Amino acid sequence: MGLLAFKDAVHLVARTGLGAEWAAVKQLEGRTQQAAVAWVLHPAASALKPVPRLTPWLKLEPMRLNDMKSRNSAWSISQREGKLLQAWWVEQMLTTRTPFVERMTLFWHNHFTSSIQKTLQPSLLYQQNLLLRRHAVGNFAELLRGMARDPAMLVYLDGYQNTKEQPNENFARELLELFTIGRGHYRESDVKAAAKAFTGWGVDNDTGKFIIRADQHVAGQSTFLGKTGDFSGDDILNILLAHPRTAERLVDKIWLAFVSNRPDPAVTSVWAQQLRGSGYDIQKLLETVFNSEPFWALHNRGTVVKSPVELVIGTARMLSYPRESTEEMLNLCRLLGQELFDPPNVKGWTGGEYWISTQTLLVRNAYLAKLSRGNLDDSVASPLKLPRVPDEQLIEWLLPVKPLKPLPVTPGARRLVRALLLDPAFQVS
Amino acid sequence: MNRREFLGMAALLPWLGTFSAEALAAAATPRSHQRILVLVKLAGGNDGLNTLIPYTDPLYYQHRPTIAIQKHQIVDIGQNTGMNPYLKALQPWWAKGNMAWVQGVGYPHESLSHFRSSDIWETAVDATSYSDRGWLGGLLPGCKPGLHGISIGDSTGPMTGKDCNTIAMQSPQTFLSQINMLEEMGAGGALRGGNAVLAHLGNVYQQLYATGAQLSEKLQRPTPLGVNFSTSEVGRDLESVAKMILSGVDATVYMVTLGGFDTHSSQNGVQSNLLHQLAGALDSFAQAMQRGGRWNDVMLMTYSEFGRRVQENHAKGTDHGAASVQLVMGGKVRGGIYGDKPDLAHLDADGNLQHTTDFRAVYGTVAQRWLGQPNPWGQFGTLPFV
Repeated sequence: MGLLAFKDAVHLVARTGLGAEWAAVKQLEGRTQQAAVAWVLHPAASALKPVPRLTPWLKLEPMRLNDMKSRNSAWSISQREGKLLQAWWVEQMLTTRTPFVERMTLFWHNHFTSSIQKTLQPSLLYQQNLLLRRHAVGNFAELLRGMARDPAMLVYLDGYQNTKEQPNENFARELLELFTIGRGHYRESDVKAAAKAFTGWGVDNDTGKFIIRADQHVAGQSTFLGKTGDFSGDDILNILLAHPRTAERLVDKIWLAFVSNRPDPAVTSVWAQQLRGSGYDIQKLLETVFNSEPFWALHNRGTVVKSPVELVIGTARMLSYPRESTEEMLNLCRLLGQELFDPPNVKGWTGGEYWISTQTLLVRNAYLAKLSRGNLDDSVASPLKLPRVPDEQLIEWLLPVKPLKPLPVTPGARRLVRALLLDPAFQVS
Repeated sequence: MNRREFLGMAALLPWLGTFSAEALAAAATPRSHQRILVLVKLAGGNDGLNTLIPYTDPLYYQHRPTIAIQKHQIVDIGQNTGMNPYLKALQPWWAKGNMAWVQGVGYPHESLSHFRSSDIWETAVDATSYSDRGWLGGLLPGCKPGLHGISIGDSTGPMTGKDCNTIAMQSPQTFLSQINMLEEMGAGGALRGGNAVLAHLGNVYQQLYATGAQLSEKLQRPTPLGVNFSTSEVGRDLESVAKMILSGVDATVYMVTLGGFDTHSSQNGVQSNLLHQLAGALDSFAQAMQRGGRWNDVMLMTYSEFGRRVQENHAKGTDHGAASVQLVMGGKVRGGIYGDKPDLAHLDADGNLQHTTDFRAVYGTVAQRWLGQPNPWGQFGTLPFV
């Protein structure tokens, strides 16, 4: 491929950003594909919004272990601050100059799930979000080691209760089933062996930081995935990282997020080998993905369903219309099935076609109708302007495939944009 | 949009080609004996012990010094069991033998999380498994083509599934107005061959249109119910369901939700109020079905994500528990109490009731004995309540 045509620049921005922002598209149009991909992968640093004040673990946790009244007030605090934290991320995503970092952070949040509802510790979820950000386009092995030590994860999957007397297998099970090799590649005895290796990993009650309690660790030989030894938690992670399935599953997820709804095993197996060979360099993998033939193939355009976050926040970032209030955006994302910091279960959001059901389609449509009518209950003005370009370019900008319904015959850019937003093809990228 | 307009529009939609638009748009000849299931979700975790009360068990009164329902208040239904006095409106249906209770319903290793346990109940999985498909999502496509479920609320819950045509709506009126907005975007156009995602989108649109067409046609002149429903939310929702059923909307399952059962404090006032609303609405619904000649075709069933802790807490409430009770009603329901009474002397490690009947035995009964479908939960057996 030579230089990026307008349409291809739109494709790259839509798939890697939050909304196909006009300015970004114009930045990339006419560049070489490799240069454009490099621009996406190496963004200039963008500031993080200041986080709201969150009650620290060491204050909240003792309240939860206390009498009913303290427990209730700890619960109220966690609910109130949980909402503040959700709003913080929405606003970060609305204003950031590096939407790709947000998308990757969200991708990892959906891989290493944790929820404010189970942990009731918003401050820990914030710390976890920082960890996800730090490694979002970095190294998966480091991210995995970080997550195994992450206080929110230790609480979410009960790792902090995994002790000598009462081993808790929850984290070990999900580590194998969801975070690395996947079902069908391990036995119950492997779960037990992994759980044993992680005994003693916990959260310090005084500081809320990761701690290894040697007196709670069960030492001794065990067999894990065919290897025998006196394993530490990190040994277990290393064995899992050496297993081909870990990279294969990860690459499948990356494909579904960025390429199409149908991974091609011939391609993904090559990518997985590369990923493992590179020591799990995420940036390198994405460079391969975004420069690959399937990523650009015309038959893969319009095969990735926009997530609620992309639809709600991305559309607001693209268009010059007044946007909904942050609260209403959170509410819309909830109605559409994607509550930040609160995935439905440890498997996370299934995504893809599952984003579109009769109920969510009605809500998606109602949101777009209201937005394009400028008819919001509580709106925030937009600094953007609708680009003055021919109709054909507006169509190529807003839809990844040809419109599925006839376009209005009456001329007018706003009327056209509205019709494009309400076209079924606007739901995909 | 009436049915004719819909069919006219359908002709413009190439993706409708492989479907029988006629069958989807409306039940042209509704089968009068089509069986219907109405689910009432009691969200928050309804306290089974104060709903169906083991009033002869001294342990019940020991565990609940302030919130136990006193013997002289209960509605005695035999077998040393009484109903909460606020369910009194249901007594005639019990006397008639149209009402069954299933007690001690739960599952092994009960989750005490609202969300997780609700998922388990709605997807019929074990406590350690996950599924994207609701328990009815797999059954309903086998029952009939076209519309499968209507949920009044914001989730399709147990009727979620790839081939299960379910619509969640705030109310039929709201849905019809939302559909009108959708119409602006719908007509015309064609789907590109081979793009499964766009095909899925087309399918969902089509379900919405078809249901919209059916509802607007059937509800244009709704069959009068001849029964007054209470103005509580659950009363209004069940009134909408009754209207749809009697006006000939052909969904197999309807679902409504009554929330607020998470009674961590001052339980009795809250639960009494909710049970009173519930009983009133169920009584009106049953009367409407009877008057409309559909009572024998309807089975109504409640469920809740869990019951509550046996021991009351210091706030005159109860914390999250395990096994609970389910209420089943209908003209063909065989009245009685099913399942073994949970043992108050042998609670689990958290102080919760151990279940005596797996909830999938109830689902299996509905699948096999009511909907006439193969029973995916055969290993849990069935119960003879229908």
